Amino acid sequence: MRPSPGSRFRLAWRLLRRDWRAGELRILLSALVIAVTATTAISFFTDRLQQAMVNQSSELLGGDLQLSAPRPIDSRWLDEARVQGLAHTRVLEFPSVVVAGENFQLAGIKAVAEGFPLRGTLRTAWVPYGEEQQADGLPAAGEAWVEARLLPLLGIGVGDTLELGSLTLRVTRVLTFEPGGNGNFASLAPRVLIGHDDLVRAAVVRPGSRVSYQYYFAGDEEALKRFTRWLEPQLEPSQRLMDVREGRPSVGSALDRAEQYLGLASLVAVLLAGVAIAMGARRYSERHFDVTAVMRCLGAAQRDILGLFLPQLLLLGLIGSAAGVAAGYLTQFGLFHLLRELLPAELPAPGMTPVLIGFLTGMTVLAGFALPPVLRLRQVPALRVLRRELAPMPLRGWLVYGAALLAMGLLMWRYTGSAQLTLSVIGGTLLALLILGLFAFGLLRASRSLHRGVGVAWRFGLNNLWRRPVLSVSQILAFGLTLMAMALITLVRGDLLSTWQTSLPDEAPNHFVVNVVPERVDAFRGFLDARQIESAGLYPMVRGRLAEVNGIAIREFVSDEEGGRGALNRELNLTWGDVLPEDNRLVEGEWFSAEDEGRKIVSIEAGLARRMGIALGDELTFSFGSATLTATVTSLRTVQWDSFRPNFFMIFPPGVLDPFPGTWMTSFYLPDERKGELAQMLRQFPAVTVIDLDRIMEQVRRILKQVTLAVEYVLVFVLLAGFAVLYAALQASLDERLYEGALLRTLGASRRQLRAGHLAEYALLGALAGLFAAGGAELTAFILYSQVFELDYAFKWWLWLSLPPIGAVLIGAAGFQGTRRVVRESPLRVLNDL
Amino acid sequence: MNPIVSARGVGKQVSTAAGGLTILDDISFDIQAGESIAVVGVSGSGKSTLLGLLAGLDVPSSGTINLVGECLNELDEDGRARLRGEQVGFVFQSFQLLPSLTALENVMLPLELAGAERAEAQAAQLLERVGLGSRLSHYPKQLSGGEQQRVAIARAFAMQPAVLFADEPTGNLDAVTGQTINELLFALNAEQGTTLVLVTHDEKLAVRCSRQIRLDAGKVVADEA
Repeated sequence: MRPSPGSRFRLAWRLLRRDWRAGELRILLSALVIAVTATTAISFFTDRLQQAMVNQSSELLGGDLQLSAPRPIDSRWLDEARVQGLAHTRVLEFPSVVVAGENFQLAGIKAVAEGFPLRGTLRTAWVPYGEEQQADGLPAAGEAWVEARLLPLLGIGVGDTLELGSLTLRVTRVLTFEPGGNGNFASLAPRVLIGHDDLVRAAVVRPGSRVSYQYYFAGDEEALKRFTRWLEPQLEPSQRLMDVREGRPSVGSALDRAEQYLGLASLVAVLLAGVAIAMGARRYSERHFDVTAVMRCLGAAQRDILGLFLPQLLLLGLIGSAAGVAAGYLTQFGLFHLLRELLPAELPAPGMTPVLIGFLTGMTVLAGFALPPVLRLRQVPALRVLRRELAPMPLRGWLVYGAALLAMGLLMWRYTGSAQLTLSVIGGTLLALLILGLFAFGLLRASRSLHRGVGVAWRFGLNNLWRRPVLSVSQILAFGLTLMAMALITLVRGDLLSTWQTSLPDEAPNHFVVNVVPERVDAFRGFLDARQIESAGLYPMVRGRLAEVNGIAIREFVSDEEGGRGALNRELNLTWGDVLPEDNRLVEGEWFSAEDEGRKIVSIEAGLARRMGIALGDELTFSFGSATLTATVTSLRTVQWDSFRPNFFMIFPPGVLDPFPGTWMTSFYLPDERKGELAQMLRQFPAVTVIDLDRIMEQVRRILKQVTLAVEYVLVFVLLAGFAVLYAALQASLDERLYEGALLRTLGASRRQLRAGHLAEYALLGALAGLFAAGGAELTAFILYSQVFELDYAFKWWLWLSLPPIGAVLIGAAGFQGTRRVVRESPLRVLNDL
Repeated sequence: MNPIVSARGVGKQVSTAAGGLTILDDISFDIQAGESIAVVGVSGSGKSTLLGLLAGLDVPSSGTINLVGECLNELDEDGRARLRGEQVGFVFQSFQLLPSLTALENVMLPLELAGAERAEAQAAQLLERVGLGSRLSHYPKQLSGGEQQRVAIARAFAMQPAVLFADEPTGNLDAVTGQTINELLFALNAEQGTTLVLVTHDEKLAVRCSRQIRLDAGKVVADEA
């Protein structure tokens, strides 16, 4: 006669409920919830973001196809589109300063032609943050629709006017949504939408201005395909054709990074929670040896034992995952709140995928970390009822670690989607853990010198650390890494921007002016001189693209992997001059002499030359629309890019670039209190574009702050998981501690002495973790600063002063709290129970 | 009549750090159904080891054991578990109740493991019989030692076993409580006609059994009725 599955499940359920009430499952369940919450919150977040992009991509793109180019395209292409039966319209986008009274602001101007958008609709409101509605038509002549955040910056409201170049526009609506808004530089600035015809009257766009031309096409799929096939071979590298699939608006690389960091942080939380789960499961299993032995004695077969404990694990997994998914759902709102300014205003409700991912994560982590210890119960000998010291064979190491590695590998693979990346990350992590573990072990060993000169209670507490070195090292690692991550985030957020700012001279240029038309250069110089604004000098600027090197097309000359590609896909700013700019240094060849005027030679920036493999004497061919120019490289020079002065990859001698349309640019320093003079400048020179670096820095700082806040938010889960590890470790040694505590008290130790011992143990553990974190953060920051940010690194003495005490207080308090039972329970009861 | 338990040349050796150690050496005897046997001897004489072997909790190093018509040597661990579940009841010195289950649930456990239909009613009836009808929902921790052992006895008789093995059933109890437990054990044994094998060093308890097997240093030194 065998028990029915139903009755066995009922028994499993009953045992589970009792274990829960007895507090046996707390650590397992809370670690599981932490792991699932962290992953689900991130999944919900990315899922909603991606859904928003997929759902609205056609609408967001503004058409079925978008072609962007730095210059107007060949009109025959539009004729071809008409022949294919495609509708088309065009848009010009460029950054420009708008002025209202004394206030001015860099704005992203978008001039739209009749028919825009071909797909989706513009949405507007009558008042800032008012009710949104679909807009019929486009801004009428003399009108502008602006983004709400522009209004307070200019100190105006709907109905007031603003100036754009020589044009006065009345703000008639607040723009809430526009298709085709790309996440490029211009869209960081608040949007001003105007009619295409007004643009001509504003006279702000001249040949050579930094303008993006966008052409939208819409029609049936076949026609679109035919048109795309026809068009693609003719595209220049600087022209980009996007269809709906590619047309995901980039929400900024900061956000992409954040997504990656969040994902990685959640994986770390999962890993730590996994460790806690493994410890919890081990204790759970050990505490069920007796029960299992009795059941074996009462006739339960091995599979009955599994039939009893596996459903419990399953139930636990389902309950923990469900709670984690619910908590993750709530948590993602916080994430959206922190990142709200970087995200689309409207987001679809989350789908079911994150729920599924949450459950999968929960079950995988549980299977990887808790299953092996629970499987061990099957091996408990029935004879244990008579001889209590009989325990099942310990698990084989490969089984325990193998299962855990497999679980982590699966989760990471799901996250990265790349087996190779997963394997290398896991391999790297194992290696790093080994090295870090040895480091932590060294710290632990070094701390043994504390042994001398402390009282008996302290010695007892400290002995606890050294007696279980593996456990102690893993705790130092768990907390050290968490503290380190938090310290690094704080360090980078606080330090990066301030270091950047202080490394600049006080009067480094904070404004760039571009688009000064050649015929007004003298007047502009006069304007600066009259106000004693010291500029970095006015430089001519011609926009052109490097097309060939020694007659070989650039696409073939430079492979994708090589670094030069980025600079080649966009147009370069080319300049001319007979004097080597102040902060440039010649490293090879010779600078132009007076006779070189008009000669087809060029000086190239050394870094770019190295990345592309260009040497002295090479022939570079540049294209300017349909015209080309070939010049010989006669010198290489280094450029100090962070000087905030106009810098150029390519400098020609005077005269060579004269046939091509160009504008002039400069940069200068203007203190805060004189910013009002910019408005005068813009009135006098409506075509120029002022780029206010202070404001851009402010924006960058804001974005960085939000992103780091979001990362810190997720790091809280890592910290929680770290605490779960601590708690699990406490639980794992609790029986032993209870027993020792009872014995010590029987022998006359006071509660105070025991408490002091526990405090000493955990405070030292925390301090060691803090020391570890300080060392790790210092090293990582040094590498980051010197290799990635290319900043000078200063020794962070405050890390060493603050992290060990923070660790000691945090861990000391948590450990002290966790061992309260040891001093609270009566020794008699403890000795009787065990 | 076939004996219900029979041991033939049973030996048990374990290896220790100091070399091989013989715990039991060439033990042979038969137990007939309905008998009550006391295995007596000083601490370390091998009583508990013998009990474990007879009940199929462990396997002998040499010799054979038959229990209720089945040769234990020929069964694997799960087979012995089945046999235990069907034919054997246990009472231990340390009670061995599951702390996470109530008195009622503890008694139900063997019935549930065997898939019995009316586990709850049967268990409640047994607890009534051992005088704990009012304490069904109490957890072991809430019961005294004597009460816990009564729950254990109820659990041991739940499957109406052919053989009941008891290991120092009163070893953890005071004399008065021990006395009542003994009474209960023998009364139930008589009611159900169970074969009783009990290990004890309590001579007064031993003489209540129909036969005493005396062990010394792993050998049977006396087997008297």
